[in-house]
Amino acid sequence: MSHSISEANSSIVLEARALTRRFGGLLAVNNVSFSVKKHEIFGLIGPNGAGKTTLFNLITAFIPPSSGQLIYEGSEIIHLRPHQIAALGIARTFQNIRLFGELSALENVIIARHLHTKSNMITGVLGLPPAPSEELKTQRKALDLLDLVGLSDRADEKAKNFAYGDQRRLEIARALALKPQILLLDEPAAGMNPNEKQQLTEFIRSLRDRFNLTIILIEHHVPLVMGLCDRIAVLDFGQLIALGEPSVVRNDPAVIEAYLGNE
Amino acid sequence: MVDFFATYGSLIVSMVLGGLLGLSLYLPLMTGQLSLASPGFYALGGYIAAILSTKVFTSSSSLFPIPLLLLEMLIAGVTCGLLGVIVGIPALRLRGIYLAIATIAFVEVLRVISLNLDITGGAVGIFGIPQPFQTQLEYLWIALPLLLISMVLLYRLERIRVGRAFIAIREDELAAGAMGIDPTYYKVLAFTLGAILAGVVGAISAHFLNTWNARQGTFDASIIYLTFVLIGGSRSFLGPVIGGMVFTALPEILRSLADTGGLPNWLAQFLRDGRLIIFGLLIVIGTVFFPQGLITPDIFQRRKNQK
Repeated sequence: MSHSISEANSSIVLEARALTRRFGGLLAVNNVSFSVKKHEIFGLIGPNGAGKTTLFNLITAFIPPSSGQLIYEGSEIIHLRPHQIAALGIARTFQNIRLFGELSALENVIIARHLHTKSNMITGVLGLPPAPSEELKTQRKALDLLDLVGLSDRADEKAKNFAYGDQRRLEIARALALKPQILLLDEPAAGMNPNEKQQLTEFIRSLRDRFNLTIILIEHHVPLVMGLCDRIAVLDFGQLIALGEPSVVRNDPAVIEAYLGNE
Repeated sequence: MVDFFATYGSLIVSMVLGGLLGLSLYLPLMTGQLSLASPGFYALGGYIAAILSTKVFTSSSSLFPIPLLLLEMLIAGVTCGLLGVIVGIPALRLRGIYLAIATIAFVEVLRVISLNLDITGGAVGIFGIPQPFQTQLEYLWIALPLLLISMVLLYRLERIRVGRAFIAIREDELAAGAMGIDPTYYKVLAFTLGAILAGVVGAISAHFLNTWNARQGTFDASIIYLTFVLIGGSRSFLGPVIGGMVFTALPEILRSLADTGGLPNWLAQFLRDGRLIIFGLLIVIGTVFFPQGLITPDIFQRRKNQK
């Protein structure tokens, strides 16, 4: 954990200020404030229904907040729409996998290169520059990403035919195709066995280093989170009840009562 | 052979135009948007051509000049494209069945307007639209290249960045947004492309049919075009083309069936006049048993794998 202390002074890339989201009478996210530092692996844990995915949905503009602010690299982003958030470099995966099921694995990744290609209706249809070279480059980059997650030999298979774990990895490849600054992973280890979880831990760490990413992840599996994350935020009934390094959070009485005690 | 074309020339051209109209409905459907606005743009394009050719481009020659016909198609396309953007931006905020209802309303509004304006000839419509060709079959010189060009464009479109954005939105609009695709922009683009195509086809049809009136853009037409796409196939551009051709020819086939001897009177009558009932039944049967239509991308995939 020593390296996270040395990073304590590094720049803040994402900051939530008093984020609140109500669903009718339910406070799904209640006055949550935290900041995420560049190049950090930031864990978000909490019991079911604590508001973790709602928080992800707020960050990626899938739902608007009831109140509060969200600052990304110094500017307010709360009024943006999902595709604009993606354009800023915030990519995500989904808890309930949302691949383009009828399309091939390769097409899934190629689609996510949308922001990094420019060909329009006319140049694309007629095959005028820059479309052809761009198309080749896009294919190559997408194959590289599939290779990275170990799916390059099945590039032409429909995404919906992949096994659950493979779909999760394909979603990560698709998110990486956006060339994000921040990667939000919603329960990446769901449905994996302990061995796969261990591999995933190393994989996520290598992604962070290779792509110079900031990673925010939601995870239920406590040992994985404790071993992987630089800092952890704990949500319970929409409220932030603890925030800090794993060693600190692990011993926080409120956390033990709300979450770890049940493990 | 000559006899065949003389008898069926008009039907062959109608089939090609049907294929084009199928494509005009297919384009918004590429983004998953069930829009029934095509007949409205089709009617508008027809009125533009009818009014221009009878009131503005009056020529002394016996045949209407083809460059003027092309100009009319261009004007109809541009006008329908602009209207497509204007209608599309608010309408595409609606989803699914609500969009379908809104576009039906749009078609009805245009129909009622055309019924009540002087320039569109009211309920009577516009007669004596000049002919650019000697025979009806010769309309293929315009309609067939248009269909082939549209098909090539759509074939390419499904394989490039823009088309992939369409398909991503169809598959999962939220995920497409998270991948940086602006759903509104691409939905309006697809809707507008469909509007342009419908308008251009309308301009040809006005000349082809020689007369144009408010019966051209109706709710009935919406359902018929929908049959083209739903039964033909909504996942590949070939589906609506073939659907459009087959279902344009179907009433003629039914009519000739009705004329075969020995049929009970009620059945012959039904085959002759029950076209919409039969189309409606086909939509129901098609959506239950062939939810992606008869022509699906998988057919080609399977063929490829067998080789």
